[in-house]
Amino acid sequence: MGKGGMSHESSADDAQEENMAAWLVAVDTLKIQPFKLPPLGPHDVKVRMKAVGICGSDVHYLKTMQCAHFVVKEPMVIGHECAGIIEEVGSEVRNVVVGDRVAIEPGISCWRCDHCKSGRYNLCPDMKFFATPPIVHPADLCFKLPDNVSLEEGAMCEPLSVGVHACRRANAGPETNVLIMGAGPIGLVALLAARAFGAPQIAIVDVDEKRLAVAKSIGADFCVKITTDVQDVDENVTRILEAMDGEIDITFDCVGFTNTMSTALKATRAGGKVCLVGMGHNDMTVPLTPAAAREVDVIGVFRYKNTWPLCIEFLRSGKIDVKPLITHRFGFSQQDIEEAFETSAKGGSAIKVMFNL
Amino acid sequence: MEVAGKVVKEPLVIGHECAGIVEEVGSEVKNVAVGDRVAVEPGVSCWRCDLCKNGRYNLCPDVKFLATPPYHGGLAHQIVHPADLCFKIPDNVTLEEGAMIEPLSVSIHACLRAVAGPDTNVLIVGAGPLGLMTMITARAFGSPKIVIVDVDEQRLAFAESLGADKCVKVSADMKDMAEEVVEMQKAMGGPIDITFECVGFSKTMSTALKATRSGGKVCLLGLGHSQLTVPLTAAAAREVDVLGVFRFKNTYPLCAEFMGSGKIDVKPLITHRFGFSQEEIEKAFEVSAQGGNAIKVMFNL
Repeated sequence: MGKGGMSHESSADDAQEENMAAWLVAVDTLKIQPFKLPPLGPHDVKVRMKAVGICGSDVHYLKTMQCAHFVVKEPMVIGHECAGIIEEVGSEVRNVVVGDRVAIEPGISCWRCDHCKSGRYNLCPDMKFFATPPIVHPADLCFKLPDNVSLEEGAMCEPLSVGVHACRRANAGPETNVLIMGAGPIGLVALLAARAFGAPQIAIVDVDEKRLAVAKSIGADFCVKITTDVQDVDENVTRILEAMDGEIDITFDCVGFTNTMSTALKATRAGGKVCLVGMGHNDMTVPLTPAAAREVDVIGVFRYKNTWPLCIEFLRSGKIDVKPLITHRFGFSQQDIEEAFETSAKGGSAIKVMFNL
Repeated sequence: MEVAGKVVKEPLVIGHECAGIVEEVGSEVKNVAVGDRVAVEPGVSCWRCDLCKNGRYNLCPDVKFLATPPYHGGLAHQIVHPADLCFKIPDNVTLEEGAMIEPLSVSIHACLRAVAGPDTNVLIVGAGPLGLMTMITARAFGSPKIVIVDVDEQRLAFAESLGADKCVKVSADMKDMAEEVVEMQKAMGGPIDITFECVGFSKTMSTALKATRSGGKVCLLGLGHSQLTVPLTAAAAREVDVLGVFRFKNTYPLCAEFMGSGKIDVKPLITHRFGFSQEEIEKAFEVSAQGGNAIKVMFNL
């Protein structure tokens, strides 16, 4: 969990305003309540949160009090796609100063285990990754935003990082034609990232025409509407290959269902890669053997590592423009947070729902 | 009369794991001479397509592979083959071992794809010919600890005699999987970096995906069932990558080197031998099909 906890009494001797946060207290129950901050360590900073995006996992926590194998046992502050302004710095902090606008990488790894030491810190088993808007946070996980990058775009670095990490793991580049399954928020950041990495042709598929239209407007070369029926997999593969001008080197499955994964495994060329980003079904019945026998590799993706500097550079240079993905904005009140989550949960025309604090 | 979509429509000469003696050379042949003892790499790729030009010639869509229809195989007195696909074997390597280079190549290719080495603890699912060869190959690549699993106790005993560090007997029942994964991890005594899945069923692949450490690799070699029901998402969310293996590429020289130096000894895997007569070929195939204690059945011509 992030630094900080539930305050049981308002600190009457505290001259500052009370810190409030959006707490997940029970299924479908969010409450804006006090959030007591811990003292600042020498390597920590205090951040005034300005922009926080909603992730599908946040919605999932709201609906079920769990996500994958993470279970919410006590009330928890929600939100991990954040950007804000540095308010206070610890004694040893060198990389940021008070007043700096920063994007925040939410996961605090242990930096002692084998994974951390080999650079795969996203896989640290003792990772403290919170749904908490980290008000007090290690300074080394706060990244300065250039003047021409807004705080909302800063908050978008977190989901964009998933797209960037996936592109790195799959080695996307000027020679790789890319197929993206799903034009939701993750499919769209994968699209933006793949383009920024230089992918020459990008095809994207979805069941929703409106989402495909958004994809087209942000740069997809080919959009194909497909169905969800498993029996249509072969037909969908044919249609995708017809639409694509050439072979598919990498497929990013940003949905994660049996039929999208089956489509991905069949559509990707021999020797290519399928990157499974989407967390849909867990057990899947897929044509894994014929894919393996064509050396189509399946690459996993878990969050990201060392992506903030690259995301910020992409945003600064304009190589990536995430602003079209922010479709809904809300303020920070009890009513706003409830409506915001409802909007996000509905999907459809809601891509990224953003809080402005 | 078919394997993986390749259908035998007309009579086909069988056999693709071959070694022999060069009897005649074409006018431009430089790498071998008459009398040379050679191992034969069976796949003749096109050398013009993108995959060939990028070195992944095993994936060439137009490859002519011995005994894959419609191309005849090598179980014959003589064959004609491109010289560049015939590799001299050292004097201390027998022709039987030379023939073993073909199946061993699959294991070598898998170990290269998965980057097996002195840092990688290896789990092998399946102690059949493929699993056993992959085990001795992983050892040759330097894997410090190797655990092998199978349903068959005799095959496990054989694996132990070939150098497995630990053997774990498993069932074919899905409900035993969770417990078995714990047993395998205990047997390894540390994280499992690479799993070579040499069977290819839902249970074995699910086992491989669960047992491998986060950030590790599962290499799917076994061609079992086509559709597999597996917990793929959970594995992907731990960045356990799945690598496919199809035949091999550029493995013959390395195999010959491993055998010549004694780093790999395939001789114990040749369990049955037959001559080249009508009766013997029928018997040989029967023995091989039965599995059990038959690992590699070899013809001597």
